[in-house]
Amino acid sequence: MNELIYNFAVWLDDTTYSAMLHESYYMYNWVESTHVLTLMVSLGMLFLIDLRMLGYAFPDVPASKIAERLNVPMLIGFTVMFVTGILLFYAVPVRSSQSVWFRIKMVLLVACAVNAFLFHKRMNESVSTWDVEARAPDRIRFGAWLSLGFWSIVVICGRFIAYDWLDCVRDQPAFIEFLAGCLDGQTRF
Amino acid sequence: MFTSMLGPHTRTILTASVVGITLVFYFTLMSDAYAWSFPFFEWMETTWFGVIGKTWGAAFAFVQTIHLLSLALLGGTVLAAEGRVLGFLLTDVSSKIVIDRCHVLLVWALVILISTGVFMACGVALKVYYLPVFWYKMLALGAGILFHFYVRRPLLRFDLEEINPMIVKMTALASILVWFMVAATGRWIGFSG
Repeated sequence: MNELIYNFAVWLDDTTYSAMLHESYYMYNWVESTHVLTLMVSLGMLFLIDLRMLGYAFPDVPASKIAERLNVPMLIGFTVMFVTGILLFYAVPVRSSQSVWFRIKMVLLVACAVNAFLFHKRMNESVSTWDVEARAPDRIRFGAWLSLGFWSIVVICGRFIAYDWLDCVRDQPAFIEFLAGCLDGQTRF
Repeated sequence: MFTSMLGPHTRTILTASVVGITLVFYFTLMSDAYAWSFPFFEWMETTWFGVIGKTWGAAFAFVQTIHLLSLALLGGTVLAAEGRVLGFLLTDVSSKIVIDRCHVLLVWALVILISTGVFMACGVALKVYYLPVFWYKMLALGAGILFHFYVRRPLLRFDLEEINPMIVKMTALASILVWFMVAATGRWIGFSG
């Protein structure tokens, strides 16, 4: 599996546009800046929704209203982040695919998606009974805490990708090499 | 007592004075102040924050993450509040409620943003001292805080219907732009030097 990922990353790395994107100082920085600054739209809205469920924001506004109205800008933000995230991966595919932080981030993004699906499902099933209350029921609040926790760790991992502490190019403990998917004799990093 | 002498437009007059004094300072004493502040930036690197920031890259990166998360919260509150003022977000909720509730969260986000920002600046004090974009960010941050507390807040205490719609829209757009400028210049510090 790791070999397959590595070969795919090397193939991406060899494409002209990957090199162009990586070597273009302004283009790469614009894409990365857009990825980071869109946090203000996507996570900003998500935080407001989660904080509403926890009773720390808009306690006097129905929870369903906050969730519905802020959902659209939040999804627009996540779409932009997704597209720019793919471009960032495309610019540095080999190193990114063998980054422990990137791998943890991807797993957590799946966890975030599952949590969001369950959160909305549970909310839609029961919201009529607690919509105007300042705090949502325990199950919904648990989902909101999970969402805040997962996304915070996603941002931490995203930030840590920039550092080379655990890169395959350095000597790493066997456990880290296993997590990162480092290959014996690999020539590209 | 002094402020009561200024009449009903106290905050506006004080803000205009601060902006005027800042501009005069900028064009006359800025180069001297830039030189005078050098020892302060040297001292910043010797503080606990500076030593921790320089020694442990992981600690620095972790604080950077908290900085980013608080920036996300700040951005969310600004967009929600200004989206309501501009009439494209939460339009079926009272504007006063949205503006007031967002203000509370914005203040919290700002406190975390500044605290973590001071820590980060201590870790790379001499680097940022020589970066023009750092000073642009400080100007943008100062402008954002002044604008939010002394222009936007007092203005939007009134009912939106009582204010000229063009002024309301310009205020909301200015707010989005100034906070975007703070975030964008901050991001650009990472690419510079």
